[in-house]
Amino acid sequence: MNVRRVIRLDQLAQNVPPARDLWPAIAQAIEADRAEAAAPMQSARARSRWLPAIGMAAAVGLVTMGVFIGRAITPTAQTVAGTEATHGEVNLMPAALRDANYRKQRDALLLEVNNRLKTMPADEREKVAASLATLRRSIGEIEAALGRDPANALLQELLVSSCQEEMRALTAVRDSGSQEI
Amino acid sequence: MTTAREGKTDTVVGFDAALIERARKGDSRAFERLYRDHVGRVHGLCLRMTRNPDLAADCAQDAFIKAWKALPRFEARSSFSTWLHRIAVNTVLEKRRGPSNAEMPVEDPTEYEEPVMSFDTPVEEEELEAAIQSLPQGARDALVLCGVYGYEHSEAASMLGIAVGTCKAQLHRARGLLRDRLERGVR
Repeated sequence: MNVRRVIRLDQLAQNVPPARDLWPAIAQAIEADRAEAAAPMQSARARSRWLPAIGMAAAVGLVTMGVFIGRAITPTAQTVAGTEATHGEVNLMPAALRDANYRKQRDALLLEVNNRLKTMPADEREKVAASLATLRRSIGEIEAALGRDPANALLQELLVSSCQEEMRALTAVRDSGSQEI
Repeated sequence: MTTAREGKTDTVVGFDAALIERARKGDSRAFERLYRDHVGRVHGLCLRMTRNPDLAADCAQDAFIKAWKALPRFEARSSFSTWLHRIAVNTVLEKRRGPSNAEMPVEDPTEYEEPVMSFDTPVEEEELEAAIQSLPQGARDALVLCGVYGYEHSEAASMLGIAVGTCKAQLHRARGLLRDRLERGVR
């Protein structure tokens, strides 16, 4: 049997290979690290696509609320004259928004958005939900104002554009899920 | 004049530098090559510090994973091998989580200057490894880094997170214990 002898400590073998190959586990960890590093970037990219839409929608909502508040402070002659009594509930909504196809599409979109919201990180979900809530609140307030002033063309226009913005925002949120994949 | 050994070392360092550059750009095959070139030394160091083959393999594996993640912070002017060893030593110390590096009083650090340890008569490698394994942790760490792997006291002390004087004292203690154990044939 060949016994190796040394006279100095630094003559001991420095290379002592491990009994098993460590590379497969290291390679796996590297892949996991890469995937982890790529995930936030994809998420940020996806977010950057839909955040402007949400931001725009929220801005429209705030402008709408501003207009509404302005109008509430300075009532129109029609409101003063009490024209709301001459218009029934049926005529309050603009024709485009009373369309059954629009309602159906919106309901389906809402369902998909709710599902998408469930998969979002909590902080993003809160931001999106808050923006959508602002938009809906302004739509609700425009509708209420239209109830008092049904013939107001500006309010009708605002309602339609706000509803369009809402649809755009909902679509952007829904699509953000597929962009991330 | 450049010796053949220096020339070879330069080539190795240059080759390592090229692999490191590729690995930094995300080339895992280049990193695998670095792993293959360095794993023996890294594992040897972990094995001597831990005395446990399974734990040593885990430490070496973790050290390479940490090295991959830290590659962007690696400064090319330092030795990749030393950098890897530093990560490996840190990994071992983290896994130990014990009071391994207790400070030792230093009377006169100059008396511990010579890190190379030689013996009067040839010693069987296996016997020497067993004697090293029997040393207390702090003394063993200093002996492995300075005596076996040839690090300066300052480098070893920095890796272990202890004062240079403590490292010298630990090495001095380790040598005394090692001689004693080899003479008595303690395994």
